[in-house]
Amino acid sequence: MFAILSEGFLLGLSTGFHCVMACLPALVPYLLSEGRIAWRANCRIFLEFLAGRFLAYSISAVVASALGKISQPYLPTWAAPLAMALTALFMLASLFFSRQSRPGEKCLVGSNPVFKRVPLAIGFMTGINICPPFVAAFVRLVGLADIGAGLFYFTGFFTATSLFMLPVMAPALFMNERVKDIGRMTLFIAGIWYLILGIKGLL
Amino acid sequence: MQSFSADKERFLPALLFFAAVLVPVSFFSVQIAAGRLNAAYPAAWALFTALTGFFIIYTGKVSFYRRIFFGASAALFLVHFKLSLFSAFASVGPGEAPYCHIIMASSFFNYFYQQYLAFMSGDFRLWGPLSAAFLWLFFTLVLGRAWCSWACFAGGIDDLLSALPAHALIKTRLPAGMFRDFPAALLIFMLLVSLAQMLPVYCLWLCPFKLTPVFLDQDAFIRKIQLGLMFFALAVLLLGPLLTKKRTFCSFLCPFGAWQAFWGRLNPFRVTVVDTEECAGCFTCLDSCPMYAIKAGPDGKPERAAYCNLCGECLAACPNGRLSYSVFGLRSPDIKSGFGRLLTPESFLVFSALVTGGTFAALFAPAALKDAVDLLRRLGHLIIK
Repeated sequence: MFAILSEGFLLGLSTGFHCVMACLPALVPYLLSEGRIAWRANCRIFLEFLAGRFLAYSISAVVASALGKISQPYLPTWAAPLAMALTALFMLASLFFSRQSRPGEKCLVGSNPVFKRVPLAIGFMTGINICPPFVAAFVRLVGLADIGAGLFYFTGFFTATSLFMLPVMAPALFMNERVKDIGRMTLFIAGIWYLILGIKGLL
Repeated sequence: MQSFSADKERFLPALLFFAAVLVPVSFFSVQIAAGRLNAAYPAAWALFTALTGFFIIYTGKVSFYRRIFFGASAALFLVHFKLSLFSAFASVGPGEAPYCHIIMASSFFNYFYQQYLAFMSGDFRLWGPLSAAFLWLFFTLVLGRAWCSWACFAGGIDDLLSALPAHALIKTRLPAGMFRDFPAALLIFMLLVSLAQMLPVYCLWLCPFKLTPVFLDQDAFIRKIQLGLMFFALAVLLLGPLLTKKRTFCSFLCPFGAWQAFWGRLNPFRVTVVDTEECAGCFTCLDSCPMYAIKAGPDGKPERAAYCNLCGECLAACPNGRLSYSVFGLRSPDIKSGFGRLLTPESFLVFSALVTGGTFAALFAPAALKDAVDLLRRLGHLIIK
């Protein structure tokens, strides 16, 4: 099992840059929009994001290994775009439901605790994103056709690629209300973008 | 006699300034056009640039003559860069599109990645994105945000159109306050998505200058959205200024503007209130600013934002003349005539801007002049026949 764990870890190390490229457009706008100057709050967002990715990888490991067992090496084509469209809707909805009113300001819509879990959804979406490193890992697991090994493999892959994402915490140093407003606008654009890509994939 | 003496006080410094601008701009313009064009075309362009400098120093009207220079440069860009390449676009893809500085901001991470690849392949000595980055850094140190009011061809079109209507049909103070940072959001998004997709996302999705469907996606659904966005951006570029008398594209949709606003802090030139106590707080400057870069401060006095691109409109509009150019906001002697005028922050800014803007425009302006002359010749032949 150590061999399969390290194989996943090495794949993650060698392709982590591609993972970061795929994840940043989703994570950074949210971090700018909802982050705080305090590290602890941003760490919580980041860890929730990673938890979402880990969940997605674990499910992918099980699915890939199960597909390998029944010799059907592909995923339904609607799965990734559907997740993308749903997460985009979640991102857009979070703009209205997660915002706290500032002093002297009235929000039209009250904050909803459900939308505090947006990082988890974003992490999940980027986790099942069909990028080259993910496909490489998926294909390997279909070949292995072993659910236990698959979970270890993706754990290693997840750990290594997560290392590349640590620098996204840096913008928190410059956090203020104006940056957060810019972050909200970026989150809106990113939400629309993923919605378009999701709908395109589904059509 | 007194009038002649006063005139001489302004004429000789203006003449010296003219020569100071003419020498570098004609040198660079001729070098750029060497082997491609007759030297008369770059020389004509350099002469026009230097004459702009002459009139600015002679009359003291910065914004008026800047707009003529800037508008002419943008119009020449349209003549050459777009019309002559229109047919060529049919056979080239986005990777082969001509250089455009606006895309540089939103694809900056891509350039970093490409430069990394160039280093890894050992080809770093060849022309690479890093070289372009050094050029940009030089322009930023010399001009900062002033690039957007003295050199950028898209800005020139927006600026020229915003000057055409006598009055604004739509007053836009409220949305300006809410969405003035939208280009910064657009920039962050495009930096990230361009890197994720390894594509110039700004060109593909928003650039109003495409005017051709070649860049658009093969997928019909995506293609419709891209076309819709392109026409929206075109409307913001062309109709926005005519309706609001403001530079709407530069203020709300240009990612390069946000990029320069951030890095422009490196540049020493500023617009400052000469004497805050004497400012009446009439906010004529706020209304005259085409970039929504001035807002009412908490003390009831105008406050200049990082988006100011030193166009000089507010200087001309201030009824008491309380605004002036400065270096890092420091006060300098107010010299209106004589050779001392050439040592003011205003003169240094105008010199830097004209030399940089004139040289940048030399990439397309002399060729556009040739295009125009060729066109006139052909028309002449047709009429004679």
